[in-house]
Amino acid sequence: MPEIILRQVTKKFQKSIAVENLDLTIDNRGFITLLGPSGCGKTTTLRMIAGLESPTTGEISIGGRVVFSSEQGIDLPPDQRDVGFLFQNYALWPHMTVYQNITFGLENMKWDKKRMKARADELMAMLRIADYGERYPAELSGGQQQRVAIARTLATGPKTLFMDEPLSNLDAKLRMEMRTELKRLHRETDSTFVYVTHDQLEAMTLSTKICLLREGKLQQYAPPLEVYNHPVNVFAADFIGSPNINLLTAVAGAGSAQAVPLVLNNGQTLSFQMTGGELPSEEQMLHIGIRPENVVLAGTGGLPAQIVATLPSGMETVVRLDMGGVPLTAVVFGTIDFAVGETVPVGFKTAGHILFAAENGRYVAGGAVAV
Amino acid sequence: MGWLKQIKMFCRKPHNLILAVLFLVLVILTLLPLISIVMDTFTVHTSEVMRIRGTHAGDFTTYHWSKVLLDGDNSLNIFYKPLLNTIGISLATCLIAIGFGGLMAWLVTRTNIRYKPFLSAVFVLPYVMPSWTLALAWLNFFRNPLVGGVPGLFTVLTGLPVPNWFAYGFFPISVVQGLHYAPFAYILIGGILKNMDANLEEAALLLKASRRQILMRITLPMVKPAVLSTFLLAFSSSMSAFAVPAFLGSPVRYQVLTTQLYRTLQGLNPGYGYLMALLLILIGVGIMLLNQWVLSGRKSYTTITGKSSQIALVHLRRLRTPLSVGFSALLLCVAVVPLITFAVESFIVEPGNYAWSNFSTIFWVGEGAVDVANGEPGILRNAHIFSGLANSFLLSLVVAFLTGTIGILAGYAIVRKKDHWLAHAVNQLTFFPYLIPSMALGAIYLSMSVVPHGPIPALYGTFAILILIGVIKYLPFASKAGINSMLQLGGEIEEAALIMGIPWWKRMLRIIVPIQKTSFLSGYLLPYISCMRELSLFILLISPATNVLTTMLFQYNEKGWNQYANAINLLIVGVVLLSNYAMNKLTGASIDKGIG
Repeated sequence: MPEIILRQVTKKFQKSIAVENLDLTIDNRGFITLLGPSGCGKTTTLRMIAGLESPTTGEISIGGRVVFSSEQGIDLPPDQRDVGFLFQNYALWPHMTVYQNITFGLENMKWDKKRMKARADELMAMLRIADYGERYPAELSGGQQQRVAIARTLATGPKTLFMDEPLSNLDAKLRMEMRTELKRLHRETDSTFVYVTHDQLEAMTLSTKICLLREGKLQQYAPPLEVYNHPVNVFAADFIGSPNINLLTAVAGAGSAQAVPLVLNNGQTLSFQMTGGELPSEEQMLHIGIRPENVVLAGTGGLPAQIVATLPSGMETVVRLDMGGVPLTAVVFGTIDFAVGETVPVGFKTAGHILFAAENGRYVAGGAVAV
Repeated sequence: MGWLKQIKMFCRKPHNLILAVLFLVLVILTLLPLISIVMDTFTVHTSEVMRIRGTHAGDFTTYHWSKVLLDGDNSLNIFYKPLLNTIGISLATCLIAIGFGGLMAWLVTRTNIRYKPFLSAVFVLPYVMPSWTLALAWLNFFRNPLVGGVPGLFTVLTGLPVPNWFAYGFFPISVVQGLHYAPFAYILIGGILKNMDANLEEAALLLKASRRQILMRITLPMVKPAVLSTFLLAFSSSMSAFAVPAFLGSPVRYQVLTTQLYRTLQGLNPGYGYLMALLLILIGVGIMLLNQWVLSGRKSYTTITGKSSQIALVHLRRLRTPLSVGFSALLLCVAVVPLITFAVESFIVEPGNYAWSNFSTIFWVGEGAVDVANGEPGILRNAHIFSGLANSFLLSLVVAFLTGTIGILAGYAIVRKKDHWLAHAVNQLTFFPYLIPSMALGAIYLSMSVVPHGPIPALYGTFAILILIGVIKYLPFASKAGINSMLQLGGEIEEAALIMGIPWWKRMLRIIVPIQKTSFLSGYLLPYISCMRELSLFILLISPATNVLTTMLFQYNEKGWNQYANAINLLIVGVVLLSNYAMNKLTGASIDKGIG
């Protein structure tokens, strides 16, 4: 069964470097997301593994077989890599019916008509498009086209399925539905999924592991919750989570692991109790990462903050605050409506906060913030 | 990685292979000939040995350069006068084309003039027809006996003499070319007027700008790039035009660069001709560079198009009906009446005598009489003409097939390897022939083909060289069509098949070609139609055995066999119009699409 290994893969375009020295191991039967802002090299990475693009240097192997190696001069074409690819715009062939789209690959593999029909019927049933066999892609809705594309990709039974932002052209409701569908498919087809997205929520909800990329460089490769709770740097912390993590700039004072004094821009001082990492040096510039759900509004004895805006969405409420010149975002479960300008005391939950070095954005320590 | 392995990996992708092959072939077929023609301007040619004393054929000489450019009165007559004539005619042509085409575009898109679809369709007809159509019609109407021959229809009908300036030379050449290129202006300016977001003007209207202000400050500035672009296009086209000045200028020895080029190459001084071809190419390249500069960057607004909600049309009020009828009549005169004159002229035995008794079918179906045109049989029984017709069809079909196919492959490969230098190079090379005036391209190939060059045999006088030059000349259009349709398609549609292991030829034949068949088709039909009506490209290279219809028309006209010329012209126009109609039907694309 295929395990995909990338070793020191680099892709250079004319002037830019799309992917730089990427090392990555994709476990068999995993659901991996390549996540990052646009232009971070995630699609390029996917296309290189699939064989649609050739790396400049490096080596890629699938299931123990080297499919690309710049040193050995190996570059297998995509069809010899036993992969399926789902395109962002579906890339359905507009001049073929749904049935023809699904069976074209099988026809090329010289399957007989009966077997082909059986396979197509099975797939169309599985993807709930059984009634549309004779239709042309243009006669289908976006969601249906998406399903046809999936059926076409699955038809030849690839061991690995690559998906390049497959849900980005769907509306919000359909997207939710298709996410569930993809999870079901992953379970039923028993294959490895590699998924590209810039939507952190999609990555969080779907994948077994997130591969976070930025400007062609790997930032963090870990299960979603680990990336969320233990981001390796400011970028990872900021990219994952909605609303974004609060990043407060502070200067460390002299202290012990039990209590590091942190002086904020506005002169207020917080105390940080470390549970891991290393002690920041005195005078070190830091960013304190505080997830919005870890900001507590109802407590007593907290720091005073003014309400800038309240954004209720029913299940939860996002509250934007101004803590003496430092902007802060909080998320409160349920609906609360504050008046703009009202002053509330702000406190922090006792775990799950992170210190980053301002200089390079790296993780310094984790722990709790106290007022 | 060894370079052998690298080459192997490179060649495994079809688009790489196509690019590499095209690159080599195009360098040989477009760049090397250019070197050859430069050399020819410094070489003593066989026919010049007597003139350039003490030299042998093939010797190095600067004779041509000094004679053409630096020899006082001599240079004035050989080069500078034709150059001035060319520039004058080109400017006048542009003025007429932009004025007439722009006015028409405005009338059709922005006023409530009647019969818009009709006006639009008829207006582009002169451009669809061969350029000399109007020139021949002009001769049929206005030729005068002052330079010999018989008077035209106008004098016969009205009894008024036609002065030379009106019948030949600068004035009629400019008018005829202006009318021929007016559709450029109509299409480019009309396209912008039509697609320009009405909101832009409405926004100004809401800010209480007057109609005049809107026209001067919003509409005209928006149209300016199109006007400039039309100007350059019409200028370079009319500069390289050969047929019209040849028909309307030569009776009074009014020379432009192209006719001068033809004269010198046919005469005893090919060196002059090559030099003039080179200068024509330089001017052509210069104009195109200017055009690119004009179209690049902030100077162009063409991309600003919107949903174009219906803008309030200008009401012509009482002028509406007179203008509608007037313009319709005018366009009929320009587009349809010429055809009638060809028909009439081809049935008249004694030129200039339009009495009914003088009508006869001998030039169509006669067996040929000793007293008429050296015993040449009528064109429907004339083996000579049949061979020309067959040659024309064969040439157009072969050229269209090759050009269209190479265009698709080139477009495919260029788009697939978009950012690679090789793709850029091939793209430039396929576009390069566009910069070279047809006549000069013909001269280049003449220079190349009289003697063998390495592996390439001396092709002069063969059918192959006509095919070759046709393919080179129309490749820019075909590869443009190919590139555009591949860009529309996007890469994924092919990759979806690639990943399933569908081989390359099957991806092309089963996926790419079926999806883009209409736009690919135009890559075949455009060269076909252009080739069918091409004169200046082939005129230097044909031999009696490879004569095509257009070159025959030219020869008959030179001999003064008016009836044959008119009949053949009618034949060509018929074929071209039919082909154009077929193209519109097949591809759903017409030249004036979306404007009328």
